[in-house]
Amino acid sequence: MHPATPPTAGMPAVPVHRTPVPRRRLFRGLIAAAVALPLAFGTAACGDDESSSDPNAPVTIEFFWWGGESRAKATEEALKLYTSKHPNVTITPTWQAFDGYYDKLATISAGGNAPDIFQIDDNNLTDYASRRVTLDLTDLVKDGKIDLSKHHAELTKYGQVDGKQVAIASGENTPAIVYDKTKLAELGVSEPQEGWSYQQYFDWAAQVTQKGGGKYWGTMDISSDYKALWLWLRTQGKEFYNGKQLGFTEADLVTWFKLWQEARTKGATPPADIVHEAVTGSVSTQLVVTGKAAVSFMWSNQLSELQKATKNELAMLPYPGDVKGQWPRASLYWAGSRTTEHPEVVADIINFLVNDPEAAKILGTDRGLPANLDVRETLEADISDNSMKATFAFENGLASKFGAAPPVPPKGHNGLRNKLRDIAESVTYGKATPEAAAKQFFAEASAALA
Amino acid sequence: MALTTAHQSAGAEANSATSGRPARKPRESGRLRRQEGRAGYVFLSPWLLGLMAITAFPMLFSLYLSFTNYDVLASWDQVEWVGLDNYQRMFTEDPSYWHAVRVTLTYALIAVPLKLAAALGVALLLNRERRGVGLFRSLFYLPSLLGGSVALALVWRAMFSGDGAFNDLLSLFGIEGAPWVNDPTWALETLMVLAVWQFGAPMVIFLAGLKQVPTDLYEAAAVDGAGKFRQFWNITLPMLSPVIFFNLVLETINGFQGFTSAFVISNGTGGPVYSTLLYTLHIYNEGFTEFRMGYASALSWVFLIAIGLITVVFFSTGRFWVHYSDGEN
Amino acid sequence: MAVQAATVTGRGSSGALRGVVRIVILVAILGFVLYPLLWMLGSSLKSPTEVASNLSVLPTEPTWANYPDGWSYIDGISFGRFFLNSTVIALATVVANAVSCLVAAFAFARLHFRGRKVWFAIMIATLLLPSHVLIIPQYVMFNYFGWVDTPLPLIVPRLLATEAFFVFLMVQFMRGIPRELDHAAKIDGCSPYGVFRYVILPLSRPALVTTAIFSFIWTWNDFFTQLVYLPSPTSYTVPIGLRLFIDSTGQTSLGPMFAMSALSLLPVFLFFLAFQRLLVQGINTSGLKG
Repeated sequence: MHPATPPTAGMPAVPVHRTPVPRRRLFRGLIAAAVALPLAFGTAACGDDESSSDPNAPVTIEFFWWGGESRAKATEEALKLYTSKHPNVTITPTWQAFDGYYDKLATISAGGNAPDIFQIDDNNLTDYASRRVTLDLTDLVKDGKIDLSKHHAELTKYGQVDGKQVAIASGENTPAIVYDKTKLAELGVSEPQEGWSYQQYFDWAAQVTQKGGGKYWGTMDISSDYKALWLWLRTQGKEFYNGKQLGFTEADLVTWFKLWQEARTKGATPPADIVHEAVTGSVSTQLVVTGKAAVSFMWSNQLSELQKATKNELAMLPYPGDVKGQWPRASLYWAGSRTTEHPEVVADIINFLVNDPEAAKILGTDRGLPANLDVRETLEADISDNSMKATFAFENGLASKFGAAPPVPPKGHNGLRNKLRDIAESVTYGKATPEAAAKQFFAEASAALA
Repeated sequence: MALTTAHQSAGAEANSATSGRPARKPRESGRLRRQEGRAGYVFLSPWLLGLMAITAFPMLFSLYLSFTNYDVLASWDQVEWVGLDNYQRMFTEDPSYWHAVRVTLTYALIAVPLKLAAALGVALLLNRERRGVGLFRSLFYLPSLLGGSVALALVWRAMFSGDGAFNDLLSLFGIEGAPWVNDPTWALETLMVLAVWQFGAPMVIFLAGLKQVPTDLYEAAAVDGAGKFRQFWNITLPMLSPVIFFNLVLETINGFQGFTSAFVISNGTGGPVYSTLLYTLHIYNEGFTEFRMGYASALSWVFLIAIGLITVVFFSTGRFWVHYSDGEN
Repeated sequence: MAVQAATVTGRGSSGALRGVVRIVILVAILGFVLYPLLWMLGSSLKSPTEVASNLSVLPTEPTWANYPDGWSYIDGISFGRFFLNSTVIALATVVANAVSCLVAAFAFARLHFRGRKVWFAIMIATLLLPSHVLIIPQYVMFNYFGWVDTPLPLIVPRLLATEAFFVFLMVQFMRGIPRELDHAAKIDGCSPYGVFRYVILPLSRPALVTTAIFSFIWTWNDFFTQLVYLPSPTSYTVPIGLRLFIDSTGQTSLGPMFAMSALSLLPVFLFFLAFQRLLVQGINTSGLKG
């Protein structure tokens, strides 16, 4: 159900700890509903709270994120550090695997009970911000409650929706291809190079397939993935979105589909059914892990996770095409709930997580590189872990080549990227021509973005 | 869920007629009658409350939602009345909708008759058997208990993948199989096989029906020189037609409501390439992953009307081919 | 009965041959029916390396390792929790269904009151109502109550006899109880409540047992409503927990997946063994006889 490629969505790891949902409004009675349901509920939960004026009054903050166990450990430790410095604050942390995270977040948000602080990504940010679930942080930033002066300006901008700061980047990451060094050496094929065009890349991949002897292919077919398409568009000076509409034409999409069609005929990519298995983006199904292809398309901070799942040595490069298509992307954000009773404490905790050097050290690069550039520098000097080093090296290598960050994808994006996945697959399977598929996508888009 | 519901309901109609006859004595006083009337509503009250609150009100509410742009996240003041937009979108702007309709109809039209044919066939075979009937019957029934579970769908997904057990089996015969669940041409057929595999429940009902066919009919037919096929055609089928009718209604409605296997096998997407996008899955995805609850409500209402129409068609054509032995026959 | 009819036409060696052919066909069908189940069991006993390479039913070197592995497959939460959640919900449903449906059935089957026929017809109509139609408004409603992520949306409706199938099953059953018993009780001065308490309740035990068994099995296997109403991993039931295996088709997770699948079917299978006759009858009594 979540075919998403979540940044660092773990193995079906999971959950636990107390639920952040507060007192349920039990037993309001079926009759009450029958009489007066469709009226004013959502926001009834909160009112003015005078206690917020007293900085030492006891405060409880609910805190919710997704991820695996190592992320949970680090996050809880960082939160403990905060509460040790602010004894009046109690933080209730809750976490679970990516699967079902947004179902739960939507459910509790709908009841007006969104956790005070929660993790969110760019695929969903606008949906939540435009439905007024998130807390507007603009004034808190202006007042210096959240200090973004040292933050990468593009990352800050990438947390704004309709001119409001609705979320703070908790890290930076970039799409990357991950390739199997060991297997390439075995086959006697040279490693891919940064800056190759898709044509060069496909020629190389076809060569891998040829040497692979039938059951091994050059590259994953990523034609159904919105971010690959987006980066490719950006190398041509276009964008995926232009405001609330698509920023490209049907002809562009046809070209994109045909580009991959060519790769298929060349033999660079596996048959559609094998591509289909890996299309969910979960680490354990990736073709470099299952040993079916030399390259998978992932996120730069997922290298270590992938590496853990295979004995072969993996390495990382930017996507094919001009690197200027890439931008410093907020891997994940922290957002507050609009219904929180303690906006200032929420701001203070977020500020602590993104700016405090000690907290940064605990959190490492699990959510990507720190957004605060000073903190990033200190952390880089400090780390010993190899995969973290690789992530740093990768991002630093790109830093000077990045293009400008686009606005966050608009409302409806999350549904639309699923449509792209399904429609592009109909081309992969040979069930639709590139032209017909592109036409269908544009029809869907007008409904999805409306 | 509603595994065995429909045939009972059909049975109910026959029954409600007979039970309507009051067994009460005419002399019974008005006070007692009133007491019983009151008691009737007391006993009925939980069900009545359920009907109002859990069924009727939600249905009306859903009708209202289907004319709005409601999504879960929005607060109520953001809900807008959009008129027929949702319905218009369904028929004109949502290509997935037509995929869902096509997939669901294909699934129901093929899987249901196949399942009933299998059930009837096996029931006929078993009916002739003297020994081991109970054991066979129980074992054949087992998949009906287990088949709707997530576990079986996971097993199916593994068995019918490109490098799964089924292709391994085929390779013994030198056949190179398709990637079944990952192949848009075959994924739905794989689901159908899973449905047919659960032929046990209708089979049990057929068996019981067969036991009620009077043997003297066959004897008379045999004396007249009717062959096996003629006997089946002229005696078994007509005598069994009420049971066939119940099973048909039941299984068709079940067929339209398939969800779990399609969800698990396609990982919730209805893929590859919409090939397993059952209507229910489309409702779920629109409502609970995209949170377009207004649109999903409109989808539900069209679904309800379609199923209602199909039921009406069944019941109105039924009298032309269903023979009740206590009636005209 | 029908057996005799069949033998009228074909006696002798051709009839015997036909009997053998029939048995062979039945056994072949049995193979088709049981193969997936046996394969699942066999695969749950294969090691990670074997599960991908050996696709036959029998493992070459059986190992139990997949069971503990699957039990704790999910970081930080064990299948025990899912089993506990499923059990609580299933048992609560059993009780709720038995009580509420019995009460409603008594009214339909035994009491005379104005509008009974209309209500009965409506009850029959709800039998055919697809649950997917109601799921959105019910969800909105239960979410409004704050019930989502608790077992309440799964149990409270059952307390209100919304499972029309069981109401119907019990109505059919009660019609088989002789009315003379009611009259005798009434003559002894019993009110309708007394009739329910002293006549119908004790005699309805078989219908209650059937209801309990089917309630348990259906709730245990249910996926859709649990998927919708239980979004937190801590409140997951077994089917929702199993769903976490969907996205991981790697070799390492196949064995544990089969192991947990097999384990999840165990309670249903035990019910099947213990009550197979009742189950098969349950299908019949309510529909064909009565």
